Amino acid sequence: MASSEDMGGSTPELDSLVRDTDFFRSLVENGSDAIVSIDKESTVLYANQAVKRVFGYEPDELVGEELTVIMPERFRSKHFNAIDRYLDTGERQLDWNSTRLPAKHDDGHEVMLSITFEEHTYEGKQIFSGIMRDISEEVEQQRELERQNERLEQFASLVSHDLRDPLQAAKATTAVARAGDEEALEDLEDIYDRMDALIEDVLTLAKQGQSVGETESIPLSTVAEAAWSTAGSERATLELADSLPTVSADHERLRALFENLFRNALEHGAESATVSVAALEEAAGFYVVDDGPGFGDADSEELFTYGYTTNEDGTGFGLSIVAEIAEAHGWEVSATESDRGGARFEVRT
Amino acid sequence: MTGDTDRPVVLAVDDEKRVVQAFDIWLGDGYDVRTATGGTEALEQLDDTVDVVLLDRHMPDMSGDEVLEQIREAEYDCRVAMVTAVAPEFDIVDMEFDHYVSKPVDESDLRMVVDRLLDIQHYDERLADLYRVVQKIATLEEEMTVSRLDLHEEYANLVEERERLREETRDQIGEMDRENLDDVFEMIGSQ
Repeated sequence: MASSEDMGGSTPELDSLVRDTDFFRSLVENGSDAIVSIDKESTVLYANQAVKRVFGYEPDELVGEELTVIMPERFRSKHFNAIDRYLDTGERQLDWNSTRLPAKHDDGHEVMLSITFEEHTYEGKQIFSGIMRDISEEVEQQRELERQNERLEQFASLVSHDLRDPLQAAKATTAVARAGDEEALEDLEDIYDRMDALIEDVLTLAKQGQSVGETESIPLSTVAEAAWSTAGSERATLELADSLPTVSADHERLRALFENLFRNALEHGAESATVSVAALEEAAGFYVVDDGPGFGDADSEELFTYGYTTNEDGTGFGLSIVAEIAEAHGWEVSATESDRGGARFEVRT
Repeated sequence: MTGDTDRPVVLAVDDEKRVVQAFDIWLGDGYDVRTATGGTEALEQLDDTVDVVLLDRHMPDMSGDEVLEQIREAEYDCRVAMVTAVAPEFDIVDMEFDHYVSKPVDESDLRMVVDRLLDIQHYDERLADLYRVVQKIATLEEEMTVSRLDLHEEYANLVEERERLREETRDQIGEMDRENLDDVFEMIGSQ
């Protein structure tokens, strides 16, 4: 720590202040960064007030303990090795200035820190101090940005590649028509519809990427019926279990989730399919099951991937939309087959 | 679609019927075109007279990737171009195709690809290998960012193989008549 003599150019007023060690004490004690000092054996000699906020411990609880108390298990032996190496050779194992390292909070969760290490001698003892700033929020923001970038890349790839197939079909069909087969022109309608559906789905998917809006308590039966009115069909049947729970969700999103599950069931099942919605027994949540052929050769790991489809006219986005909506709510969605072999989608809320 | 002429034989495979019809229309006057709308049918149509296969990747009954594998396993002496909307990923590194074409293609694209592949048939095996590697590198480079390419060992291996083949074929390329070096070999021969 700097002594008052080092601080040239200070005013007499400040001069007297800095002579007062209480000033430094309070500066260190009340700073917003957590400061922890240890000896060569890694025993905590000092911790300021901010450790309460960052690590959940009172300063008193840390003093006298080993520093490893606030370290994730996997760093402990590395830490001792690094200190030993430094004491032996003076070689630093990591950058002492603003190094990013996770620490362990009293409640067990990990806190990402930016740490600056200092070393000084006090009363003949070698002391190491860490000045630690909680940067969890920054890290989270950065992750969010990375996620968004990834999504953007995916969308760029979707738009550029998934429109290529129908575009090729349109070019080919035009060539066939030009060569004299007028009937081919009628195929163009279907191809344009496919492109239209693709664009719609990509847009829906793009919207799902945003975080969930206002959530409210919604009875599953109401939203499932609403979804059936747009995604269901005349000849198919929707069966709702009596004991359907309410869930806390963004209404529009939840409806889109059901619509996509229903469409998936009807596209892969019989025209007169029965689709049922019921509560999960072993966990909070619900499932949608159909009496269709199940997943057959479909790759169950790929089901929720963008653009994966076994249906020639499908866009392959329906189930990715479902997965996105579930994820945005913090739910888990999985696909299994029912006892009767139909497709069963479980959503754990 | 008879095989009794000297015209090169092209087999077009795509699950979209209109696409193979169009390929037939576009190539029909210069080549003997056969068509198939699925993998199984493609393998039935295949024999030693086929020079070039135009192969879609996403097909319901048997994927183009699988057809390609079977073609190579059976050691047919033909060149294969993947003609597809599937974005090339690093999985293409191990696929034994000669050319990768992104849809949509039109008549002139298609003719160019077929002509190139027919040219390659007359080249020495290592030149053909070089062509294949250069093709793959170009395909990956077009699709992916530099940072992503750098992360993958497969890409580095391809580049290394290209350098090795370039070195090995340097003399052959040097001996070739400049005028006969089409744009393909200008690309390869940028040494």
